[in-house]
Amino acid sequence: MEPAMEPATAALEAESQETPAPKRLGETLLSVDDISLSFGGVNALSNISFEIREHEILAIIGPNGAGKSSMLNVINGFYQPQKGRVSFKGTTFRRMRPHVAAKMGIARTFQNIALFKGMSTLDNLMTGRLLKMKRNFLWQALYYGPAQKEEVAHREAVERIIDFLEIQAIRKTPVGRLPYGLQKRVELGRALAMEPDLLLLDEPMAGMNVEEKEDMCRFILDVNDEFGTTIALIEHDMGVVMDISDRVVVLDYGRKLADGSPDEVRGNPDVIDAYLGVSH
Amino acid sequence: MLYREAGQFKTSYGSDQAIFPIRQDQIGIALLLLVAVLGVPALAGEYWLETIFVPFLVFSLAAIGLNLLTGYCGQLSLGTGGFMACGAFFAYKLTTAFPELHVLVVFLLAGVGSAAVGVFFGIPSLRIKGFYLAVATLAAQFFLVWMFNKFDWWTNYSPSGVISAPPREVLPGIFLTGTEATPITKYLFLLGLVAVLALVAKNLTRGAIGRSWMAIRDMDIAAEIIGIRPLWAKLSAFAISSFFIGIAGALWAFVYTGSVEALAFQIDRSFQVLFMVIIGGLGSILGSFLGAAFIVLLPILLNNVPAAIGLQMSVEMVSHLEFMIFGALIIFFLIVEPHGLARLWQIGKEKLRLWPFPY
Amino acid sequence: MNATLARPLTLWLLALPVIIAVLGLALQGLAAVNASVFFAWSYFLEVLFAGLLQGVMYALVALGFVLIFKASGIFNFAQGSLVLFAALTMVGFIEMGLHWTLAFVVTAGVMVLLAVVVERVVLRPLVNQPHIILFMATIGIFYFLDGFGQTLWGSDVKVLDIGIPKQPLFVLQGVFEGGILVNAFDLVAALVGAVLVIGLAVFFHYTRIGRALRAVADDHQAALSVGIPLKTIWAIVWSVAGIVALVAGIMWGSKAGVQFSLALIALKALPVLILGGFTSIPGAIIGGLIIGAGEQVAEVFIGPLFGGAIQDWFAYMLALVFLLFRPQGLFGEKIIERV
Repeated sequence: MEPAMEPATAALEAESQETPAPKRLGETLLSVDDISLSFGGVNALSNISFEIREHEILAIIGPNGAGKSSMLNVINGFYQPQKGRVSFKGTTFRRMRPHVAAKMGIARTFQNIALFKGMSTLDNLMTGRLLKMKRNFLWQALYYGPAQKEEVAHREAVERIIDFLEIQAIRKTPVGRLPYGLQKRVELGRALAMEPDLLLLDEPMAGMNVEEKEDMCRFILDVNDEFGTTIALIEHDMGVVMDISDRVVVLDYGRKLADGSPDEVRGNPDVIDAYLGVSH
Repeated sequence: MLYREAGQFKTSYGSDQAIFPIRQDQIGIALLLLVAVLGVPALAGEYWLETIFVPFLVFSLAAIGLNLLTGYCGQLSLGTGGFMACGAFFAYKLTTAFPELHVLVVFLLAGVGSAAVGVFFGIPSLRIKGFYLAVATLAAQFFLVWMFNKFDWWTNYSPSGVISAPPREVLPGIFLTGTEATPITKYLFLLGLVAVLALVAKNLTRGAIGRSWMAIRDMDIAAEIIGIRPLWAKLSAFAISSFFIGIAGALWAFVYTGSVEALAFQIDRSFQVLFMVIIGGLGSILGSFLGAAFIVLLPILLNNVPAAIGLQMSVEMVSHLEFMIFGALIIFFLIVEPHGLARLWQIGKEKLRLWPFPY
Repeated sequence: MNATLARPLTLWLLALPVIIAVLGLALQGLAAVNASVFFAWSYFLEVLFAGLLQGVMYALVALGFVLIFKASGIFNFAQGSLVLFAALTMVGFIEMGLHWTLAFVVTAGVMVLLAVVVERVVLRPLVNQPHIILFMATIGIFYFLDGFGQTLWGSDVKVLDIGIPKQPLFVLQGVFEGGILVNAFDLVAALVGAVLVIGLAVFFHYTRIGRALRAVADDHQAALSVGIPLKTIWAIVWSVAGIVALVAGIMWGSKAGVQFSLALIALKALPVLILGGFTSIPGAIIGGLIIGAGEQVAEVFIGPLFGGAIQDWFAYMLALVFLLFRPQGLFGEKIIERV
């Protein structure tokens, strides 16, 4: 984040309550091109193409089993599609690998929380910094000196995220003991600790009450605003989707139904059919 | 009252990340080391040093090694005995081939050799998990012991298949191995080596590499997606674990028993070390020490207590009872406190913080 | 048996002669190249038969593992000590003067009692713990039972004889000169194995308890929530595994004497399981046959090249290599990981 941006952002925040501020939408950050994925004869995704632009919040919606999570899994390399390619920051991949995706700046959270349950909140966030820690294991074995310096530097970065997410009090609690809503927040924190360019959120608000949802929305918008992080999220709560997203992609049975601004999508007859049942 | 950290503020992240952040603990560990260095050799007789303290330190090192792999990285291994045998025989071949090499260097090199073997047998862990991996490590266990037993090149063609540690000096004029070595030398040498290696293990587990192991243990898929490569995390765990276990094996053969055959490292040894790790506490360096102490002391107690209260038992009976008690204890610990003695220690400390006013 | 099992089974039965022929030809080739390897077809088949029948014995032990794994997801390391304990107890009762049929019934009762105790004392407090914890708990049972059995019955090698014929038979005398030597005992063991497998398959697929067992294996909590009595199910399955262990113990005990090393035979059942897949009963049998035949043939024909005794580790190495190519075993289901 460049310092020059800060006053503008602050001004934006003040305004954003009233009028939707003009977004700094940029170039295409990631594009998926003609992706098809199947598991033993079941087509999870067929011929999906769309793109994600810099700094936007893109929502992927669709009924259960539409292939939304599979789409995220393809983007960060956990599933290998049978057909199609993924381009990120101008590099095209026939098959993405998870650690390559992580290295290039794609972070994600999971539908069913995937935290490291035996570790504390702090350690979970610190694992998010692993890729940025360069000292080899001999330095680590010695600990005192360079490894400690590095450790402290990353601890500072992690502490900023802890402050941002307001989870100071649970810093040293093993995450397995935290309630669901807090675990979701820690998981977001771990993804943020990676300082990603693209953040994939798989149902970040599932199973939350209204207050928790509001908190989570605020965090997502703040992340997008303050760090300029591009966000792609899956969400079922239409109110939330229409409020916070810049663009919406609709999937159904592994096909793409629609792609556009929330208002366009809302009016799309195919989408209405998919959600309310076919009536022709 | 005595154990309060109130008023001790941490002013930097560095001090917050220290191994012993509380001052009372720092004093405690300093006292413990002082007693270990000065008190034990002065008070404990040769018999105690030889039968309790020396094996305790050797086993602690092996338990730390296995704990790194099983407790921290979550890869269950039943091949500990095999890797210990690697360390013992590598050290023997090295020191007989290059007698002028310092014994400490021999041990470290034997550890490095064992690490290489560990990496080789760790390769299946990339495709298989849990019980399947446990069976795969059995392959290492049986193959390695067979190899050292079968080919007498490893024993320098000794007809009995036994290797005896040749006399080696640790400092000029002070023998660590062989008949001239005194228990005190052995004990102090082990104490120093094990303390340093334990510190290394602790540093690794609280740093980046340790976090990547624990991430793989807790949820390997998520670990992969935040950029940890399972290949490196698992193989490094196998390597470093086998390094520790290999050194423990070399120490077993050279310092503890003085002479050893491959059959001393059979699968029972693997279970013995695994039990130390479970009873002491999975994922705890302190636990490795506690577990080792427990398993070393239990048979001695079993041998002496019935006699002391006037009960006559045959040697066979004692060994059967030992089996039963080990088995029952394992189950007991898994049910009551899966985190082992280390956790009980921690709970005790929590209680002590509040004592004598628990509210 | 249903279609999903029948197909791979027929495939395997068809493939078996081919595999044997290929193996034989390969060894013949080896013998031609390296003079220290002795090879004759009749001897090869004799060794192979002995190995296959040995494999049946492994499979008997492996069956117990599969049962408990199928029904509770627990990898029961203590199966071997169940075998030892059952055999020791049976011998103990016979030595007290009971007829072996009566001793069998009484010992079966003891095994059921043991199952109930294990369920009550070990499994119930550990419901919903990670599988690896349960696995380690069974290592505890393994140690405990080994000690307990020997404390009760002593640790001398005992003879168990229930009148299974042991005389050598010569078969295929028309094909080979002198025929092939087969032990009648091994044939009986194979028969017992076959009966057990069919019985268990029927039990699992066609009874209400069998269905409940499979439900429990899938998810403890879900099974509890639809009203399956978890405790009873576990007690039943451990009882059945105990009785399977008793049968295995009788066969092994009659063959090799009842002694401590029986508990370690169970370790050989592990590579069998790896090959067959942890959840497949036919898999246990075929895995057993492959391991038994493979290690026997390797020991006799290839072993001399390495100085012998390679059967200590051959089975594990075979399993290890196999795991690299097919981690789920021959009959196991492929695991699709989801996030």
